[in-house]
Amino acid sequence: MVRMGELAVSRTPDAVLVSLGLGSCIGLALVGSGVAGLAHVVLPESPPAGASGTPGKFGDTAVPALVAELAKAGAPRSGLRAVLVGGAQMFAFGSSGDIGGRNEAATRAALAEAGIPVVAACTSGSTGRTVRVHVGSGRVVVKEAGSREVELFSGRLAA
Amino acid sequence: MSTTSFSELELDALREIANIGSGTAASALSSMTGVSIDLAVPVARALPLADAVDALGAPEEQAIAVVLPVSGDVPGLMLLVFSPASSRVLCGLLGVDPDSEFAASALGEIGNILGCAYVGALGTMTGIEFDPAPPQVVQDMLGAIASSAFVAALGETETALLLDSELKFEDAECGFACIYVPSQDGVHEVLARLGLGG
Repeated sequence: MVRMGELAVSRTPDAVLVSLGLGSCIGLALVGSGVAGLAHVVLPESPPAGASGTPGKFGDTAVPALVAELAKAGAPRSGLRAVLVGGAQMFAFGSSGDIGGRNEAATRAALAEAGIPVVAACTSGSTGRTVRVHVGSGRVVVKEAGSREVELFSGRLAA
Repeated sequence: MSTTSFSELELDALREIANIGSGTAASALSSMTGVSIDLAVPVARALPLADAVDALGAPEEQAIAVVLPVSGDVPGLMLLVFSPASSRVLCGLLGVDPDSEFAASALGEIGNILGCAYVGALGTMTGIEFDPAPPQVVQDMLGAIASSAFVAALGETETALLLDSELKFEDAECGFACIYVPSQDGVHEVLARLGLGG
């Protein structure tokens, strides 16, 4: 279970990393060979004072933090593929506009900087979503509110 | 920053605020529907964001929520959370077909009345001006609604203070949650006006 602002990495074959009920938040899945990570991004940019121990919370810090954790688990950056879920605009209020859209943009920018391709995404719109990452197979599935689970990424890391 | 902790005395005061706010809201709803509304003792807790979302219920559960951003001297958020069953009961009390297009606007109107009564009572008590914005009605996963509403209303905060009141319809086995979430700075302003903290 990866909750708001958290990130997790696993190489346990039958483990499933999950973030339930993503709204404007982004579920950032990075899939390698037999290893996967998931971050639950809440806001696009970390404050000037730094991410204060919760790098998973911000789009700009979640990518490097997750890449570093995956490297520790033996997954080189070059073999990683990204899948993005969430970033919806649930409400038309708030001083900072479309937070979901900005979360996605910041996360994509950080992925581009890290040279990690985004192979699938289920983002924007106005519905909540749940993402599940099957660590062993690398399969990523998404479930939108009131509908069935859909496969976003098969997990096969063909170039 | 240690903005997360409140003393027992402060939490007591906040519970009392929630009690008066939701009591006023419940009697407004009661006089509108002619049904008496039971009010449980409100709960006041300051929680990290992720825990605050979990505290509202199972994050993947389908819920119908009325969301009212509150601006003014003390910005914040009012959240009414209905289960699909309780929204049907409420629509029934109002004489609106729960499957019709009017259901959402009826719930929004309820939210408007409850929210205005609630923050109006807070305003009278504290002398602070609260300004509720028009409500939005959404049906989605509870976790998606709550997390997005917290982030939109509270921005970059580590914790959310939940003033959680449970309203129950007499004779019906259901009710709904009326949750007021003031911004961090706002809480301290409210407490200061009540002669606490500062």
